[in-house]
Amino acid sequence: MRKNKTMIFWFCLPALLSLLIMFVYPVCRTVLMSFFQVESLTGSVSDWSFYGLGNYLKIFKSQSFLTSMHNMLVIWIVGGVFTLAIAMLMAVVVTSGIKGKKFFRAAIYLPNIISAVALATMWIQYIFQYDYGLLNEIVKLFGGEKIKWLGTDLKFWAMTASFIFGSVGYYMLIYISGIEGIPQDLFEAATIDGAGKGKQFFSITLPLLKGVIKTSITFWSINTTTFFLWTKMFSPIDTEQSTIVPVVYLYDMVFGGKGVITRDAGAGAAVGVVLTLIIIAVYVVTERLFRGGDLEY
Amino acid sequence: MKKINWKKELRLLPGYLIVCLWVLFTAVMLFWILGASLSTSREIFSGDVLKFQTGLHFENYVTAWQVQNVSVFFGNSLLYSVISCVGVLAIAAPAAYVLSRWQFKGSTALRIGLVIAMSVPVIMIIMPIYSLATQWGIKGRLLLVILYILIRVPYTTIYLLDFFSTLSRTYEEAAYLDGCSGPNTFLKIMLPLVQPAVITVTIFNFMSVWNEFFMALIFTTSESTYPVGVGLLNIINSMKYTGNYGGMFAAVIIVFLPTFLLYIFMSEKIIAGVTGGGVKG
Repeated sequence: MRKNKTMIFWFCLPALLSLLIMFVYPVCRTVLMSFFQVESLTGSVSDWSFYGLGNYLKIFKSQSFLTSMHNMLVIWIVGGVFTLAIAMLMAVVVTSGIKGKKFFRAAIYLPNIISAVALATMWIQYIFQYDYGLLNEIVKLFGGEKIKWLGTDLKFWAMTASFIFGSVGYYMLIYISGIEGIPQDLFEAATIDGAGKGKQFFSITLPLLKGVIKTSITFWSINTTTFFLWTKMFSPIDTEQSTIVPVVYLYDMVFGGKGVITRDAGAGAAVGVVLTLIIIAVYVVTERLFRGGDLEY
Repeated sequence: MKKINWKKELRLLPGYLIVCLWVLFTAVMLFWILGASLSTSREIFSGDVLKFQTGLHFENYVTAWQVQNVSVFFGNSLLYSVISCVGVLAIAAPAAYVLSRWQFKGSTALRIGLVIAMSVPVIMIIMPIYSLATQWGIKGRLLLVILYILIRVPYTTIYLLDFFSTLSRTYEEAAYLDGCSGPNTFLKIMLPLVQPAVITVTIFNFMSVWNEFFMALIFTTSESTYPVGVGLLNIINSMKYTGNYGGMFAAVIIVFLPTFLLYIFMSEKIIAGVTGGGVKG
């Protein structure tokens, strides 16, 4: 086929420009900014003064930032274990030959397509609501005392639980597509050899899903490091220490939140760089851990 | 109809229980919200939702739509979603086609760049974009539309690229022999051939823009430019003063409805698309 250079040029140019304007330039500038003292985003570059690692030292000395990193870590580990385990359970059940497979698959994925703001509102204003909420109705049914689910003690866990609920469907779909890629005759052979469902899961399904699980861990890491909306919904007006996460810390720092006296875009950029490095680190580590043994079948 | 194998179904019972409970919970939540959106605040607080003793209060929807400005937010979101879906296709489809067909200087770099861009966190780009937008004097609705288009380019291009690569080159050879120019071949022959992929990717772009929150929160400064997400947050924050719970739940339903309806009619396509593009084991 003839190579039409003019056409190639004009067809690629808009995409190339988008990439440069929206991604390459901003990422470079953010990295650069994290080494400079920059108060306002709208100021000109000539106002920047070199600060070395000053911004990084500043954020790692900030109690709010450390709390936010701690919260993020808990969401990453606890939320991750629950989300991925529930998603795997759902995926195994949905592909086990139950009737209405398509319905269940679609219904479990449903929370993922709802606007997260609407979903969080449903949880806050109904499930966890103190006066008429679902959980307290259930507690009352069993004769218990109403619980303040959104009080300072439980808020973080309430937020994490609803976040898990909203995430399960997506990871379930990833696992389903992985399970459906495993040849059925492996399971048939195992059944003939007398292996039970549990044994089949741990000896066939899980090892063969290595690659898919790796992908899901990477996605989950990106998802938790960019965690923002749920905190904003659970503490909408003032950021609270119980629910703060790094992106909210960054948001308050750069765009102004309560308790932030001077804005500091340089420190915000440093937060961004730290989070990106974490994502890269997690990616490299999972890639290592799960390397080799990509089984052929 | 196949005969039901009771022995098999019994063995699957624990599985049925698990998924049924999960789905039941989701259904209870959605139906309750729907019920609450048709109840008065008093009924909601006394736990009488879904009894409708005082009838169905559709006026909640009227209040939400008119007084609480949901109509404005809804219109904005529709505008942002539709324009960006079209805009991103105009940028991504030609690039995806060319990248799938020819090796040229920088083609590999562009392709890798697009893949990496897909996983760049928004926080790494938001601050310089803010500076650029101020510097160039772009703001309000126009700014958001531009940002939504640009941010969806990498995903859309890579998604379409995969589909273009599956098409046989014989189409183009035939078109070339018939004297059809390159751009014309793309528009009239190749693009229609990937129509199913274009539809899927557009659904995803639509839902992603409709549900976008972070950039909207940062870049919208007045209520007249809020999309539904930020608008809803605004309504909830002002609830302390209005106390109109019925209206708030009505607003939730209005925000929830478009993507939900899309999902009802296209769930198969959407589900296939989630794991079809990009996600590989």
